[in-house]
Amino acid sequence: MDSLRDPFEEARKRCPVLSTEFQGESIPMILRLAEVREAAKNWETFSSDAPRRVPIPSEESVRSVRQYPIETNPPEHTEYRKIVEPFFRRPLLPEVKEKLDVLLGKLIGEMLAKESFEVIQDFAIPLQSHALTYLLNVDAKEAETWIGWGVHVFKEGDGESKGAFMERYCQQMFEAAEENPGEDFFSALNAAEYQGRKLTLEEKLGYANLAFAGGRDTIIQTVACILGWFAEHPEGLQFLRENPKSINTACEEFFRLFIPLTHIGRVCPHTTDVHGHEVPPGGRVSLGWFAANRDPEVFDNPNEVKLDRKPNPHVAFGFGIHNCLGAHHARAIMRGLVTKLSQKLKAIDLLDFENHVEVEKDYTRTGGYEHLKVKFQSLES
Amino acid sequence: MAKVTYITQDGNKVEVDNAEGNLMEIALDNAVEGIDGSCGGVCSCSTCHVYIPEEWKAKVGPGNDDEEAVLSSNEFNTDRSRLGCQIEMNEDLDGLVVEVAPSY
Repeated sequence: MDSLRDPFEEARKRCPVLSTEFQGESIPMILRLAEVREAAKNWETFSSDAPRRVPIPSEESVRSVRQYPIETNPPEHTEYRKIVEPFFRRPLLPEVKEKLDVLLGKLIGEMLAKESFEVIQDFAIPLQSHALTYLLNVDAKEAETWIGWGVHVFKEGDGESKGAFMERYCQQMFEAAEENPGEDFFSALNAAEYQGRKLTLEEKLGYANLAFAGGRDTIIQTVACILGWFAEHPEGLQFLRENPKSINTACEEFFRLFIPLTHIGRVCPHTTDVHGHEVPPGGRVSLGWFAANRDPEVFDNPNEVKLDRKPNPHVAFGFGIHNCLGAHHARAIMRGLVTKLSQKLKAIDLLDFENHVEVEKDYTRTGGYEHLKVKFQSLES
Repeated sequence: MAKVTYITQDGNKVEVDNAEGNLMEIALDNAVEGIDGSCGGVCSCSTCHVYIPEEWKAKVGPGNDDEEAVLSSNEFNTDRSRLGCQIEMNEDLDGLVVEVAPSY
């Protein structure tokens, strides 16, 4: 499976850091797990207080707002994060798990009835969009709007106008919630207080931007990769059907290996030596989550899927204070998905696919799918 | 059966009789505030970080290298730190009291 190849294998052996550049900007990428963790923890040296510059490439041309809370540092980050934590913990609630379970059963049932289907468009995008309504506690009909947004909320086609469209949509949602407040994410942010004052519109839009953009292509691609892997490994379905206690560890292994986000950036406010690479003030560093997750010093046979791998100290959701707010959500979706697939399916037939390929100056990573056509084989047939 | 008590950051006590499984699973089943157990117990997240009282340290024992590596990057790590997911309850630990460590 191409997604299991590690393009950083040789570079990691030579040095903990890959000296490289992105869009002409010199950015050293940290490759080893211990060093990535250390940098992620050290937010004073490797800062997230960098609006629209935490992602690599930067998102200065595709969104106008800072993403909250991720693009802030302590002490502000702590209070900003606390405001939305209750929503991002909703996937732990039994009633939300139940709704997700019903959704997965319905979607898998619909796909079983088809001769074949395209995973991204027909399955993963509807799954992600509907699941997000449970997280944000908004009306299920909103999912229909979000389904039309595609895999990325910024990147497809004219990214600039697409990003602006989403900001307008969110602004309308905040206005509607102001008129008619409820228990939803938008109403909660309208009512929230930060340092004794109401949130500004820019802050609210920044939270919404993260909620919509941060967990979209990541969840969609992880779902697709899991289906793609089971298509090549029907024995995995059987193993998990017979060993349901391994579903959580299997999902952690999928997160480790299929992490869609190769890396994320940090800004160095001062001249910083990054394992022999000098970063000037305002320059950036890349935290190589993908490369760290394949570190052979930590993971035996790092490019192999071991469904019962334990321990599995991966950094698929980042590390430290800025770790992924949506981790509960992603875990709830994947655990529910893998449970249902193992209960319902004998096999997944792989009919056609095209991998997504990330081409950068010093590496080419094949991971995820542009499209993936499969057929579900029912266990009952 | 073994009993375990969690003391949360707010000072609340959660007592669990007939505790089975590891300290992370037991905490989740009993809604102990401050224990998320996000990674399901594979030593990836440290969201089940607890402090073991001095008098229980010998009985509970130290963590392995993987656990130490995760804890070493946690700013609230102390010499009493353990990950709840790596501690299986058993009769020898009957009466154990753990403190939920602070989180970010």
